[in-house]
Amino acid sequence: MTVPAHAYDPEAARSLIDEVSERSGQNLLACYQCRRCAAGCPVGEETGYVTPDRLIRMIALGDRQAALENELVWRCVSCYTCGTRCPNDIQTARITETLKKMAKEAHLEPLRPKIADFHSAFVESGVRWGRVNEMEFMGIYEMKGALRGMKKKDFKSIAEELKTQADLGLSMFKRKRMHMGLQVSAGRKEIQRLQKKASQKKR
Amino acid sequence: MDIAYYPGCSLKASSALYDVQSRRVFEGLGIYLKEIPDWNCCGATSAGKVDDFLAMAMPARNLGIAEATGLAEMVIPCSACYSRTLVAQNRLEKDPVLKETINAELSRKVAGGIKVSSILEVLLTAVASGDVAESIRVDKKTLKGFKPACYYGCLQTRFPEAVPVPDDVENPQGMEKVLKALGIQALEWSYKTDCCGASAAVTDADASDALMARIIKDAVARGANCFVVTCPMCQLNLDAYQDRIGPKHGIRQRLPVYFITEILGLAMGMGVEELQIDRHLTDATTLLKELELI
Repeated sequence: MTVPAHAYDPEAARSLIDEVSERSGQNLLACYQCRRCAAGCPVGEETGYVTPDRLIRMIALGDRQAALENELVWRCVSCYTCGTRCPNDIQTARITETLKKMAKEAHLEPLRPKIADFHSAFVESGVRWGRVNEMEFMGIYEMKGALRGMKKKDFKSIAEELKTQADLGLSMFKRKRMHMGLQVSAGRKEIQRLQKKASQKKR
Repeated sequence: MDIAYYPGCSLKASSALYDVQSRRVFEGLGIYLKEIPDWNCCGATSAGKVDDFLAMAMPARNLGIAEATGLAEMVIPCSACYSRTLVAQNRLEKDPVLKETINAELSRKVAGGIKVSSILEVLLTAVASGDVAESIRVDKKTLKGFKPACYYGCLQTRFPEAVPVPDDVENPQGMEKVLKALGIQALEWSYKTDCCGASAAVTDADASDALMARIIKDAVARGANCFVVTCPMCQLNLDAYQDRIGPKHGIRQRLPVYFITEILGLAMGMGVEELQIDRHLTDATTLLKELELI
């Protein structure tokens, strides 16, 4: 749950809303809670209490932990329906994308580790080779998941996950939709230099 | 006519059939796709969740390469690549500091100016000029058997920031217009821009299967006998997971999921092998036999 309104401290709350607004490029203060976003959110049934408007409210109230650790941040599919329908042009999907990054920087265990693993494995593959190699990045993604399962001694879910992916892999293989070669772009060096420069600047 | 072409990673891997079809179909319309040299991954939706700077820098490099070709327009069939590239182009135009920072490391600098087009924008030009209607080589009556639900998904019309959108955001008509030029009447339905879940099909199957079940159920209820799509992610999800979703959500029917290039290619008289329609995971050839297209 979020901070009760009577405990609201505007000074303490400011740092969070300012940070999220700046990084996401969204004017969170423009939200007047009309809930068009909530009505259109396709994963609304999966995210429980938290709808896009309520996420904005949490941030406005300065509840950092609730804002970083909730189902909407992790299960948002970035379909951009909320933002397209917002009368005040607030793209909440950019807010969930921002909160994912903030959670990572705060070294919080993601609420949905598989989702975090997937996106980082995807981007890492794209930067490493210049192009995403589906087999490689899916392999890394599955390995991260299996390691996490082993730490928790959750062998049943490891076996289930591997079976699901093996079934899909086999049917894709049969239809020649699996690509075995490695795709590479020589220009990856330029991307890697840009990434390095940007991360040095951040520090 | 030559046009710059950015295939993106999935058109070189799991959706390589879409690359093959696009080249053949466009050639049939007198449009030659010139793949830009040494392109890199656009970062897709993932980059925006991991690193905002990379989400701009990755597509920016491709824009620089595309501009260096001297061609006026670049077509991007994949919706995610199209969206990321268009958004980056728009942002760099508004943010000269960011543009300068990125350009500093690029051998092909972004100046701005090349038109970034979705596959539908290019096809609609060919519809308007009459080239699509003229390219038909099969009996038009056979095409009338298609009862397609045109499925756009998210990234064809909805963007993370304001960019000029060439179609109606909530009820796009681009695919319907292309099909109409072939004499095919697409169905009216309610889920054409709903999300298929994209990567959630792998990472959060409960969520994605519920999303896809709603899409498939509405298409079936409207009497569709197939989906027509432009996005390789939507195509792969709907194509690969119908057998998983069906039993969970009480759907008996299975619908083939055609790329728009497959329908165009068939109308031009191309065969299943030539278009690689035999690479679908949900049977896509039985309907074609029923319609006597093959």
